[in-house]
Amino acid sequence: MWYHKPAINEELLQSLPNLKVVASSGVGIDHLDLKLLSSYGVKVSNTPFIVSTDTADMGMALLLASSRRVVEGHEMAVSPDTECFPADWLGVEVSGATLGIVGMGTIGYKVAERAKAFEMKILYHNRNQRKKEEESAVGAVYCKKIDDLLQQSDFVLLAVNLTPQTHKLIGKRELELMKPTATLINISRGLVVDQDALVEALQNKVIKAAALDVTYPEPLPRDHPLLKLKNVIITPHIGSATKTTRWVMMEEMAESIEAGLAGLPVPREVL
Amino acid sequence: VGKKVQAIYLWWHKPVINKELLQSLPNLKVIANSGVGMDHLDLKLVASFGVKMANAPRAVSSSTADTGMALLLASARRLVEVHNISISPSMEYREADVLGVKLAGATLGIIGMGSIGYKIALRAKAFEMKILYHNRTRRKVQDEQAVGATYCRRIDSLLQQADFVMLVVSLTPQTHKLIGKKELELMKPTATLINISRGAVVDQEALVAALQTGVIRAAALDVTSPEPLPRDHPLLKLKNVIITPHLGIKTDKATYMITEEAVENILAALSGLPLPSEVLPS
Repeated sequence: MWYHKPAINEELLQSLPNLKVVASSGVGIDHLDLKLLSSYGVKVSNTPFIVSTDTADMGMALLLASSRRVVEGHEMAVSPDTECFPADWLGVEVSGATLGIVGMGTIGYKVAERAKAFEMKILYHNRNQRKKEEESAVGAVYCKKIDDLLQQSDFVLLAVNLTPQTHKLIGKRELELMKPTATLINISRGLVVDQDALVEALQNKVIKAAALDVTYPEPLPRDHPLLKLKNVIITPHIGSATKTTRWVMMEEMAESIEAGLAGLPVPREVL
Repeated sequence: VGKKVQAIYLWWHKPVINKELLQSLPNLKVIANSGVGMDHLDLKLVASFGVKMANAPRAVSSSTADTGMALLLASARRLVEVHNISISPSMEYREADVLGVKLAGATLGIIGMGSIGYKIALRAKAFEMKILYHNRTRRKVQDEQAVGATYCRRIDSLLQQADFVMLVVSLTPQTHKLIGKKELELMKPTATLINISRGAVVDQEALVAALQTGVIRAAALDVTSPEPLPRDHPLLKLKNVIITPHLGIKTDKATYMITEEAVENILAALSGLPLPSEVLPS
């Protein structure tokens, strides 16, 4: 299964009586009805860990590109109309700023490790607090209430799974709690954010900018307001899109399939 | 008016400091530069008029290191290309058009390991990159170990092994066109060149040729010769090039800190005290 295709539903499963295993690419499994698959005796696997560094890198790439206005800057540098570079054209400093990570799993933690090297202050919100040693290693401070994180962060990065609890986790209320100088970065799933509320917040300068590797749907309709906002960077869900990682993902998926077909324990099985 | 001027705060190389200007300002005591690079100043000429010079080294290092990393990441993950795909009317693309380079385990070669180069090494280490560096002098062992950096006494050795080559040197007669045809050909065909130093450190024509023929994979340039480039310059049209308008220190915080440093130097000079960051002609 690659990029959530084909869609797995009752009709498909009924038409494939000998289906033994579904190997899904990447770590997210929100597009799969695990109960349904289980009821047909089909095993499911994903590729959870190999994607972590690339996805964390993508989060940092978006954070840096947004704060330092790399995309806008490039456009200015190559535009036929540019005569000189304005002296007062400024971005936002990353070093020493506060990063709030929502979702401190494997990927969120790797983002924290990277951000620490930029001398950033790190806050995090997670279902559970991490161990003290893990927190100290990256200098991360736990925010039991997401509101505290939102109010203090210069950059808010979403690295949660999509579940019924995280659906529209960031809506109008959360955006209004954020600083007007803050940037929202999303490397989780489009549905974690109330997209209409985000558009409004960006248009009314409730927050400063957004950088999104994920949207809902993917891709967005071509007339969607997010595509036209100057303070938005959008990338086509490429969190794990590097040659090296894609190669390993395919190897892992093939391995899981072979095990499933041989009746052996399936590596990276999702239960 | 000329007789009243005792200090100049140079912002983005303006005003141009030449003999005429210096002669018209007999009471000038100090020129404070915004930023760290001094290649636009004739240090000997200024000193011959008894005028002190200062730069702002402390304020720039983090912001410039951040810019280097921003360009490294933007190039590795093809950020400008994929953003344009995402907002394009057709949004048709092949998987191969969006695949980037994995940083964990890749090798970064830093040419110029001063304060800025070192901060880049600290950042790159957190991305699990292997770090090589080339510098006029070798750093202390503890400094190398803290970032896991290996010294390359010969620049060729760094160029041959690096997946990303980052230029962080000052512009001097020795570093002028440091990276030319020979150096580009030593680099891997899968390698990326990132320049946050000065445009003149790179032989720009050789770079264009190398990018057009696949001698190297890509380039990300915060600095060029001149700035901005002429609008018909080939670098502006290459898909595998990101150019930014000398962003190095262009942040709210850095601008503030640079001005503070400049003011400190100016006040010291006017009081006849030692300057915190004086620059002497070498």
